[in-house]
Amino acid sequence: MNATKFILVAAAVLACTILPILATIGYEAVRTQGITHEVLARAPERGNYLPRHIKAQAGKLVRLRIRNVDTVTHGFTLPDFGIDVGDLKAGHSTIVEFTPQKPGTHAFYCTVWCSDHHLQMRGTVEVVAP
Amino acid sequence: MPEERNEGRGTSGEGGGALPIENPKSEIRNPKSRGEGRLLGLIPLSWRYDLAALPGVRWLLKRRWFPMIAILVNLFIFMGILTGGILGGFSPGNYSFTIMIVWILWWVMLMLVLVPVFSRTWCMVCPLPAFGEWLQRLKVFGVNNQLQGLNLKWPRRLRNMWLMNFLFLGTTFFSGFFTVKPLATFMLLGSIIVLGIVIMLIFEKRSFCLYICPVSGFQGLYSNMAMTEVRVKDPAICAKHKTKTCETGNKRGYGCPWLLEPHSFTRNTYCGMCLECFKTCPFDNVAFNLRPPGTDLLVNDKRGLDEAWKGFIMLGIAIMFYTAMMGPWGWLKEMVRGATLGGWLTFVAIHAAFNLLALPGVFLVFAWLAKALSGDRNVALKAVFVNLSYAMVPMGLAAWIAFSFGFLLPNGSYILHILSDPFARGWNLIGTAGFPWTPVLTGWLVPFQYVSLLVGLVFGADYGYKLARQTFADERAARRGFIPLLAFLVLVALFFGWLYGG
Repeated sequence: MNATKFILVAAAVLACTILPILATIGYEAVRTQGITHEVLARAPERGNYLPRHIKAQAGKLVRLRIRNVDTVTHGFTLPDFGIDVGDLKAGHSTIVEFTPQKPGTHAFYCTVWCSDHHLQMRGTVEVVAP
Repeated sequence: MPEERNEGRGTSGEGGGALPIENPKSEIRNPKSRGEGRLLGLIPLSWRYDLAALPGVRWLLKRRWFPMIAILVNLFIFMGILTGGILGGFSPGNYSFTIMIVWILWWVMLMLVLVPVFSRTWCMVCPLPAFGEWLQRLKVFGVNNQLQGLNLKWPRRLRNMWLMNFLFLGTTFFSGFFTVKPLATFMLLGSIIVLGIVIMLIFEKRSFCLYICPVSGFQGLYSNMAMTEVRVKDPAICAKHKTKTCETGNKRGYGCPWLLEPHSFTRNTYCGMCLECFKTCPFDNVAFNLRPPGTDLLVNDKRGLDEAWKGFIMLGIAIMFYTAMMGPWGWLKEMVRGATLGGWLTFVAIHAAFNLLALPGVFLVFAWLAKALSGDRNVALKAVFVNLSYAMVPMGLAAWIAFSFGFLLPNGSYILHILSDPFARGWNLIGTAGFPWTPVLTGWLVPFQYVSLLVGLVFGADYGYKLARQTFADERAARRGFIPLLAFLVLVALFFGWLYGG
């Protein structure tokens, strides 16, 4: 087999095996560049919010991605910053932004009655001084 | 090649004339009417149309890069499926690329189109054994008949479907996980690839596909119903061809990777449609035939208990999948998805016993009745059991087609979402991420299912009678022996009808 043929075949095989993985990782890395935190949403008996405690700095933009990785609809509200994403369906995700101005602790919680343990589906954003 | 296991009588050369198909292994003894040589009394079973006679098709099938190019495209999609298994490792099934593509799109396409129409074309483009095969050949597109690896012969005792039967049944024990947890599907597919590589480095050619791959067995059995086949055009040309390059390979292609004798094989069951025989035949003597569906059911070549059991296992799994996934029995769902270990073990025990013992046991009673009613004392009960069990193939395939409608129509729209957001990360690649769940024609679901079952029943009955004619001594005995088989088929159809629409 000549060199050109070998390179073409190798390129075809790599394009069909490694390329999809690299493309996925690369695309996701580009898309998530500005995201400062990611929270996974699951019913309390399946793991609850992860993480349940987020640390942020006063005066700095928080770009939060919430991913519902559960099999039921969840919600996410952070009332102190006027954030409510509404219904976040299973498998869906959303991004919220806010800039806390002063230190303090702020509760976030699920707004959809997602399970018998729904009321335990909550967490906190701790804002610390810069 | 797979071990010869002819069961029962009526194989060849006995008694009167043959069906008007060229294969002597499909004879009906003492045929009385022309209808016996026709599907549903209408289409001659010998009718064939060689699709490869079309110039573009033959040109394509003889290219060295085909079907490898399709395998590579499939591999590209498959890598996405594997990636989704990890990146979307805890996503809900309906929004997971891995689960939607494998268990909705692929499975449904397999049962609705690929197997019933195109036989084992999935095996033609399957990416799972690709890595193992490349390691054997040290080539991707080219030809190297000096295969690498140990190239051992597969153990004679295991040259049948039993291992595949147990592996496929064993896989369904975990169905409650595969269909909702992408990571579980990743582990299943990943282990098939790894096992494939290991086996293909130890045993010759496609031994893995022939004797282990869990997906291979049911495709093999159900492809007897397919409307297409790869066969030689003129056996006389092959008879004169001493070197048999379709077996040994030549510079144009490999000797049959599926360990068949392409010049003389008679059923789709063990043909992976890899198309190598199109390349290696120096006389252009291979056809890709369109044919009446199901003609292989009448070919008594390598019929055996393993294939009979495969038919019952497929029927039993269709029942279990429906009751667990779409039925109203919550307690059963809890058992299948392993809410408690005890519950899951109970499910495994019941599911295994139902498939391996209960269903074949009930059929054995009907086979015994068939033998008793026929009055034919010379035919062995085992032969009656095995031969008549092939009438379950159209019925089982119809039950799976009906089941597939139940998946596709309500859930198919999720595919548009996952094409845009394959890993549940908020992507919108083709702008369909927001496409809502939209059930399609679900009002017609049950009628579609009933029609599928009815077609399966009609085909099952038609082939059942022909199988009875092959099995019993004469037409009278066959008619009497057919009655219990027909009763069994009707009961199965009614049961599935009740299950799906009752």
